[in-house]
Amino acid sequence: MREETRREAVWQFLTYGFILLGAVVTLVPLYWIFVASTLEESEFLSSTDPTLIPGDSFFSNFQALQARDNVQFVGHVGEMTHYIDFGPFYVAYDFWNLWNMGAIESSIFVAGVYTILSLLLCSMAGFAFAKYEFRFKQPIFYAILATLILPIQLLVIPLFLLMSQIGLTNSYWAIILPWLANPLGIFLMRQNMRSIPDALLESARMDGATEFQLYYKIALPTMKSSLAALSIILFLFQWNLFLFPLVILDQGKYTIPVAINQLVGAQRVYYDQIMVAATLSIIPIFVLFLFLQKQFVSGILAGSVKE
Amino acid sequence: MSGITLDTVRKEFGDGEETVVAVEDVDLEIEDGEFLVLVGPSGCGKTTTLRCIAGLEDVTSGTITFGDRDVTDLRARDRDVAMVFQNYALYPHMNVRQNIGFGLKLSTRQTAAEIDRQVEDVAEMLGIEDLLEQKPKELSGGQQQRVALGRAIVRDPEVFLMDEPLSNLDAKLRSQMRTELQTLQHDLDVTTVYVTHDQTEAMAMGDRIAVMNGGTLQQVGSAEEVYRTPVNEFVADFIGSPSINVFDATVDGARLDGPGAFTYHLSDASPVAGLDTVRVGIRPEDITLVDDGIEMTANVLEPMGNENFLYATLGGQEITARIDPTKRPGTDETVSFSFPESALYLFDPDTGESLKTKRDGDVPDRNDAIPNREGAQSGTGTGSDADEEQIEEVVE
Repeated sequence: MREETRREAVWQFLTYGFILLGAVVTLVPLYWIFVASTLEESEFLSSTDPTLIPGDSFFSNFQALQARDNVQFVGHVGEMTHYIDFGPFYVAYDFWNLWNMGAIESSIFVAGVYTILSLLLCSMAGFAFAKYEFRFKQPIFYAILATLILPIQLLVIPLFLLMSQIGLTNSYWAIILPWLANPLGIFLMRQNMRSIPDALLESARMDGATEFQLYYKIALPTMKSSLAALSIILFLFQWNLFLFPLVILDQGKYTIPVAINQLVGAQRVYYDQIMVAATLSIIPIFVLFLFLQKQFVSGILAGSVKE
Repeated sequence: MSGITLDTVRKEFGDGEETVVAVEDVDLEIEDGEFLVLVGPSGCGKTTTLRCIAGLEDVTSGTITFGDRDVTDLRARDRDVAMVFQNYALYPHMNVRQNIGFGLKLSTRQTAAEIDRQVEDVAEMLGIEDLLEQKPKELSGGQQQRVALGRAIVRDPEVFLMDEPLSNLDAKLRSQMRTELQTLQHDLDVTTVYVTHDQTEAMAMGDRIAVMNGGTLQQVGSAEEVYRTPVNEFVADFIGSPSINVFDATVDGARLDGPGAFTYHLSDASPVAGLDTVRVGIRPEDITLVDDGIEMTANVLEPMGNENFLYATLGGQEITARIDPTKRPGTDETVSFSFPESALYLFDPDTGESLKTKRDGDVPDRNDAIPNREGAQSGTGTGSDADEEQIEEVVE
């Protein structure tokens, strides 16, 4: 074997080894959480006989989690109390009581609404910053970027005061609205939208498109893969928010991170229930990722303009 | 359909001290149904002028009218113009059918079926009816070009604008598309403004050519006019391939003394009266090799088959000559040349304006020069007459 070829092979081996190591380091804890959720607490906390083989206690752990009175993890059928009397039928109109939302539904709802609204806002802002000229464009853009360095801890008290002034305490809007204009999202969209050729937009203008049509008929469809990537970032950001939801929401409306925190008691940490909750909380993210994966097709702009 | 009138159109970029004048007070009248080619070197303002007509740039001052309609302050989408871009600018996420129909969908109230029918008609006209369901990235360069054309044609606009549409095609396809575009424009009879930096393309395609340089319009006229009677040295140099040979000569009565052995006796010295020096121009094709004439040293010979290009030196001055294919002077061989006085160009050394051009006053009617162009004939009116007058003034 030639010296160069051997060095190449060694280099390749090291590269793959490093990638594999990264994957193991990431996946083992996730696997361990899953395994732990299927075992009795005493089994997986055992120091004499640790195991990585799943057991059969998942449902009993889940039942214990659901039976807690300080946290509702997965929701249940609600009790409707408002009816219209139609003779032999009663028709309920308080549909919002159809389902009592638990933490997992709250999180899905909040993160979903947040992702859609924020995608809309970030892509519009990104489009404007990338493709239009206006006064103070650069200063405004840098001001938005600068907000990235503000930690949420710093914002909690002023935000709480603001939300209570406008009557949004204990409302999901209180944890959706403050981060809608996501600086990271605006930055990413602006960077990506700059790759849209000006000729493409001008061509659409000549074809009779309004400025808003340029955005939703040309810019958005060509940015599908970036939007997919950004939606995962935004969803995860909201999914993982802890401090502000803890401060502003009441117990009945807790999102997953706050609900899991409730399982850390003063006397005892309910590890088995935490593991079940953590396992369940991964599922929506996993589904979202699978769903968006096919959108990550690169080169969607290929063939639009000839360089 | 309508003509286009540009009245002292000016376009400046930037503000304050960094103002750049891209287009400087351009007056231009384009006849209804005419094929006008804007030509000039990079940065001469031709594309900016086109973009002003399109409505993609606001003019700083001046007015633009289509027929009787002042469109100066209208947005691009309200002007009823269609434009073909240099890079085609096809919508990547739409198939060919959607690409062509996009404009109709946005700007008319036609039903989907009506739009579909028109799209299919245009596709058939361009020979791309089999590609309707494909995405732009699946098409070849020539096919993308046709889609871009189709997108412009289907809207049946008042004005067609084309910004170097052929520059991304290979040479063979380019000359094929050039002919097709001309036929198409002739059939549709839509006023067309075509921008190119390629003077050959300009000469071949335009009813009239507008030569621009440094943001100003130099000359407007038929290919023959700008070639034979350029208004100044720039136009003479830009139009014609290979380029005209131009060099300085001192004036001594009727005698011109140029570089090396160049001496020439004018039979009519009136164009150079009162001048000490003059710029002399000779087109390569007017040079004939003779036994007894002005001597120069041959450098390189490029055989083209039907003719030979000879690159020679005349007292340090590069001279290009288009000579008979049977003549093949070797490197460093001394050759003699001559040229008829009627083919001589003389330019003012300070202003560059023409003092004498080829066969002055003998400008052929542009309809003779470009046959089979009924649509163009209505366009011979004021524009070219004015130009001829202007040229005569210059000559006098």
